[in-house]
Amino acid sequence: MKHENKKILYIVIAILVIFGVLYGLYSYAGQEAFIRTTLSGLTLGSLFFLVAAGLTLIFGLMDVLNFAHGSMFMLGAYAGWQFYTNPTFIFGVLPLVLAFVAGIMVIPLIKPELVRLKLSDSWQKRLPKLLYLAGLIVGVLAVLKFDIAGLAETAMVAIVTTSTGALAELSPQEPLLRFMWRPVLLFISGALVAAGVSKPGDRAEITAPEPLKNRLVLPIILLVLTILFTFVRESASELVLLMNGNLRFALAVIVATLFGFLLGALIEITMIRPLYIRPFFIVLMTLGLSFVLRELVQVLWDPLAYQMVRPPLFAQPGRASTIAEWLANGSSTISIAGVTFPTYRLFVILLGVVMFIFVTLLMTKSRLGMIIRAGVQDPQMVEALGINVKRVFTIVFALGVALAALGGIGAAPFLPVQPMMGDQYQMQGFITVVIGGMGSYVGAFAGAMILGMARAFGDYFALKLQLSPTIAEASTVIIMIIVLLLRPQGLFGKKD
Amino acid sequence: MTELTNTNEYLLSVQSIDTFIGQFHILEGVSVNVAKGSITVLLGRNGAGKTTTLKTVMGLTPPRDGKVIFDGQEIQGKRAFNIANLGIGYVPENRAIFRALTVLENLKLAERNKGDLERHADFIYDLFPDLERLSKLKGNQLSGGQQQMLAVARALVPENKLLLIDEPSEGLAPILIQQMMEAIRKLKDTTTILLVEQNFIMASQLAERYVIIDDGKSVHSGLMSDLVLNQELIHQYLGASIQAPISASEA
Repeated sequence: MKHENKKILYIVIAILVIFGVLYGLYSYAGQEAFIRTTLSGLTLGSLFFLVAAGLTLIFGLMDVLNFAHGSMFMLGAYAGWQFYTNPTFIFGVLPLVLAFVAGIMVIPLIKPELVRLKLSDSWQKRLPKLLYLAGLIVGVLAVLKFDIAGLAETAMVAIVTTSTGALAELSPQEPLLRFMWRPVLLFISGALVAAGVSKPGDRAEITAPEPLKNRLVLPIILLVLTILFTFVRESASELVLLMNGNLRFALAVIVATLFGFLLGALIEITMIRPLYIRPFFIVLMTLGLSFVLRELVQVLWDPLAYQMVRPPLFAQPGRASTIAEWLANGSSTISIAGVTFPTYRLFVILLGVVMFIFVTLLMTKSRLGMIIRAGVQDPQMVEALGINVKRVFTIVFALGVALAALGGIGAAPFLPVQPMMGDQYQMQGFITVVIGGMGSYVGAFAGAMILGMARAFGDYFALKLQLSPTIAEASTVIIMIIVLLLRPQGLFGKKD
Repeated sequence: MTELTNTNEYLLSVQSIDTFIGQFHILEGVSVNVAKGSITVLLGRNGAGKTTTLKTVMGLTPPRDGKVIFDGQEIQGKRAFNIANLGIGYVPENRAIFRALTVLENLKLAERNKGDLERHADFIYDLFPDLERLSKLKGNQLSGGQQQMLAVARALVPENKLLLIDEPSEGLAPILIQQMMEAIRKLKDTTTILLVEQNFIMASQLAERYVIIDDGKSVHSGLMSDLVLNQELIHQYLGASIQAPISASEA
């Protein structure tokens, strides 16, 4: 068992090095500075992990380098920030999105009938294109003169609840009778696109359909939701804003993560899936997508930076000396071994650790994790076992984007929310993945923590030794170079 | 055996398929019929297109032309996972087991319905007792023979009507070849098998029917018992591969 011994030796050396470095920093910086800088490093590391985990999972399974990952981080922050501060925009647009998605989701309902149609070859080719065109026209009609910019502007006005619980004036929305036809048209538009996607007349697509009941469930649920949200467009945002701030923040985190998941699934299905045979195009496509998303956000909300208010649990002035005191008072800082540290950053560290545990359990204990680990090696064979690998790709991509979006909303209360906020995290995410080893989530965690610490201590030394602050940024790249020279596959990467 | 040839009921019927890999025309009209409950073997030289035939049936290299009919249903053009879920198990060449997964996980992954493995565990561990003992080892810690057994066992986890087995004896020691042959013979009682096998002695002992594939075309088919007597045919299409005794096939 020579191999085993070698492994143990490496682990011992690694632990010694880590403790050596930490002890050196500790004795150099002194207790106070050491604890403060370490906690800052862990905070950064947690955010790096949330970005890098998605990157590494997606790359490991699909060999896709997602250059739009930073934009997903940014969008997560925007989604969560808006839900928390003023969800008028979200609830104003939601019925439209739901209606279109409900339209798309009728595919399983209509496909079994459509593929059985008897069409000539030329019509088989022409009909989907005509359906797409019709869908596009109806879709454009549906959103004609929809004041999306005005709706988006509402997000810039934080609505404060007064002591009586009354809300400041919400910007008036289109009256229901005029708004109503938009979701209806969008549903039709979605259904037309769905009909095109179903490949009418293509007999090779004929499969035994599932029972009608099962096929009806999803579109009906979505339609009911569409109708529901059409009616509660205005009252829903009031309801959210009157909620307890902590609960609202928890919901904002969930909304941002869910939004990331759905956005990821949408992007994978519509844009990445057709390009798997041309991997280089995926790089260009995601890079382009990141620009498009950033510009879109700028158009809607201007290239301004917003500061999200911290939820009440982390917002009251004052310093708590114990965790119990913090939870009781909602203090904004807490004293840890005599060092004053923002409580919200502790929450971010916790978030990173919890998500690491979640990803670890997912990968080692669940069937999905098993499929991912197998798919990394040989997706074709996984497919031959009867597993829909395409769907697994979609889920993994969506999951990766959801993690990035979670990082975004996690960062929103202490980073300015602005269109470029994800860029730096994407860069660091890629460096993390290279250090940790492509495809390894454990590596992503280790790499993220190393980078976070390097950044924090880099800042510390820059300040103390009066060096340029860019030394902190450079330190991460230097670490990457050292790792690449000593272990080109990354700390936890596999050689093959 | 005569019963089989008389019933015209084929579980799998591959009808003059054309398959391209990239721009290479690998299969140019291959037809194979597999009767229910039989073992049919694809014979032919290296590179003749035997493996591609299996992959085409499986949907991994979809055919451009021709039909694949399984259990009365046209399956060409369907995606591989759909085809597998109709009840086809695939044992690829080079024992493509998952190296990062344990033996147990490799088997679990092949489940199509919850509890598939529990239902068939006795049968599987009866055929390959080693696998139960090794269940906690990772795929990359297994010997070549153990990997091959795992690859076959994996195809037995779900309820399969047809097994496509590609070169089960490749690179195995003689004693393991014997064990593998025993296992495949036992499988015959419950399923139908389409086999690719270079080892002619093994093939001739196992299979009832054969199809010879040469240069991407199926050129000859019939009863194995007839082929063994037809030295001329063997020589023409299989050449060197049959002169190798079992022991020589050890890698």
